Amino acid sequence: MSEPEELELQALQRQLDDAFETTRPRPGFEDDLWLRMQSRRPFTTRLGDAIAGLVAGIRAVPAVPLASVAAVLVVLLGVGLFSLSGLGRGGASGTERQLSLNAGGAAAVPTSAGSFGRLPSPVLAPAGASQGPQLSLPAPAPAAGTYAGPVTLTWAGQVNVSIGTAPVFRYSEPSTDSADQFAASLGAALERRPAGLLGLYTASDYTLSVRGTVQAPAQEPAYFILTAPSLPGVSAAGAQPADIAELFLAEHSLAPQWPYTTTVDGPADQLRVHFLRQFETPGYGLAHLVDSGGNGYGLEVDLNGNRPVLASGPLPVSLDSAPYPIISPDQAVRDALASSPPPSADGVPPVKVQLTSAELVYVLVAAGDHSFYEPAFLFSGSFQVNGVQYVKRVLVPAVDPSQRG
Amino acid sequence: MLADRPPFEDLYREYLGRIYAYVRSQVGTSADAEDITAQVFMNAYQAYARFEARNTTPAAWLFRIARNATLDHFRAHGRRERLRRTIEHQPQAEEDPASEAEERIRYRALLGHVALLPERQRDAISLRHSGLTFEEVGTLMSCSEDAAKMLYHRALKALKDSVQKEGA
Repeated sequence: MSEPEELELQALQRQLDDAFETTRPRPGFEDDLWLRMQSRRPFTTRLGDAIAGLVAGIRAVPAVPLASVAAVLVVLLGVGLFSLSGLGRGGASGTERQLSLNAGGAAAVPTSAGSFGRLPSPVLAPAGASQGPQLSLPAPAPAAGTYAGPVTLTWAGQVNVSIGTAPVFRYSEPSTDSADQFAASLGAALERRPAGLLGLYTASDYTLSVRGTVQAPAQEPAYFILTAPSLPGVSAAGAQPADIAELFLAEHSLAPQWPYTTTVDGPADQLRVHFLRQFETPGYGLAHLVDSGGNGYGLEVDLNGNRPVLASGPLPVSLDSAPYPIISPDQAVRDALASSPPPSADGVPPVKVQLTSAELVYVLVAAGDHSFYEPAFLFSGSFQVNGVQYVKRVLVPAVDPSQRG
Repeated sequence: MLADRPPFEDLYREYLGRIYAYVRSQVGTSADAEDITAQVFMNAYQAYARFEARNTTPAAWLFRIARNATLDHFRAHGRRERLRRTIEHQPQAEEDPASEAEERIRYRALLGHVALLPERQRDAISLRHSGLTFEEVGTLMSCSEDAAKMLYHRALKALKDSVQKEGA
């Protein structure tokens, strides 16, 4: 190497040293981040809670009749054109950013097997519902075309779930401080605390509402951003609705930090973009979060043309995770087939429905101070009645019954 | 052992700036750099109970977390970044309003050239100038100390060529 070139490289090294030594975050970032970290409970505290959980069992969990322990969620949804519209779900969905870096499932703080103690069991809704028994999970309004008659189930598929344990995720009910921190991280200021909300906040071009967990039907803590009419549309030539929603979220630091798939529905001038949340399940892959109807959900953005109107998603919360034994695929199939609603009193003959697919999913179970995302098997199969296409979905709780309260 | 570990806040105060600079040299905007840096320290905070000083230095441990977080960021945001590049009328990364708050960055253009280097060369430059020894750089990049030195010098020459090419 020639001497001039050597000197040039040395000069470049000095510039690099300067560059790295003088590149620092904005003033205030260091203290802001430290405060955020302090607001999270340390690992040792969570571990202590987990041990206490083994002793205390499912404190704060509503009493559950034993008969419902093995409950199987059965939902008949007339699909037709409505099967996956998700329009009934109104926005308990989610995004986490800095405050919830471990809230996406994959990065949740793991603890030892079964360390949350006995888990709350899904609770059956009162008998007589036209759709059959349901759990106290997020329950969308029945979609048009719902088939309410009796069915007889058969199974003709394969359950490709070969794992013996699956993580259960738990979060603590967020406080008003948590909501305030989330709002502050977005640049929104507290306006007031209306009943039922953790806070109502305002920013320059939107209002932000934050609420805690809804117990029944269960919905996770969520935020709702209603944009002001003055908010300009997203200027992005050639962008599709999902791209516009992504850009809006990214610009507001709300982009999902968890895995997701994207769907779009609604009329052309009132599109809704769904970011369907997934949980990483070791040995299986990504499992969608679903409501009691088996519909995936997550973060949602409503668009009017290229202008975001409403964005809703789960409030950032810290998730702990613990592996729990799950039932075998054979047992899941048996539970699914045993879930047929009783024959109707009016003598309508049951329709034969063949379930043909199954996947592992996650469902929310609200339970007081702590709520859980629990694994479940989702079976589905399509059938026709009087020329109308329907889809039957059956949710079977996956956690082994011995681990449930 | 607990006695081997300094209080986490000491690590945090000492390394925050260096970790941020490392991340900032890898990603396009200061907003992304802040997000990733926050993730790095939150992950480190949670994992600190398992950190054993006799196995590695705090710097190497933190930079390993930072490197993984940055790679995760690229994996997770690849699609969005590609989208941004292809969409007209979107501001360039350096016009990102968030970067306006980054008052102390004086070598933006130089770091821009670093960011354009191939991944391993970029890493070698960034880790080395973040204060790591070649041994630590090699460990993080799964290669020997000598290999890390060679990689670094190749990267330095590539960076010089890149800077000169733009100036020509």
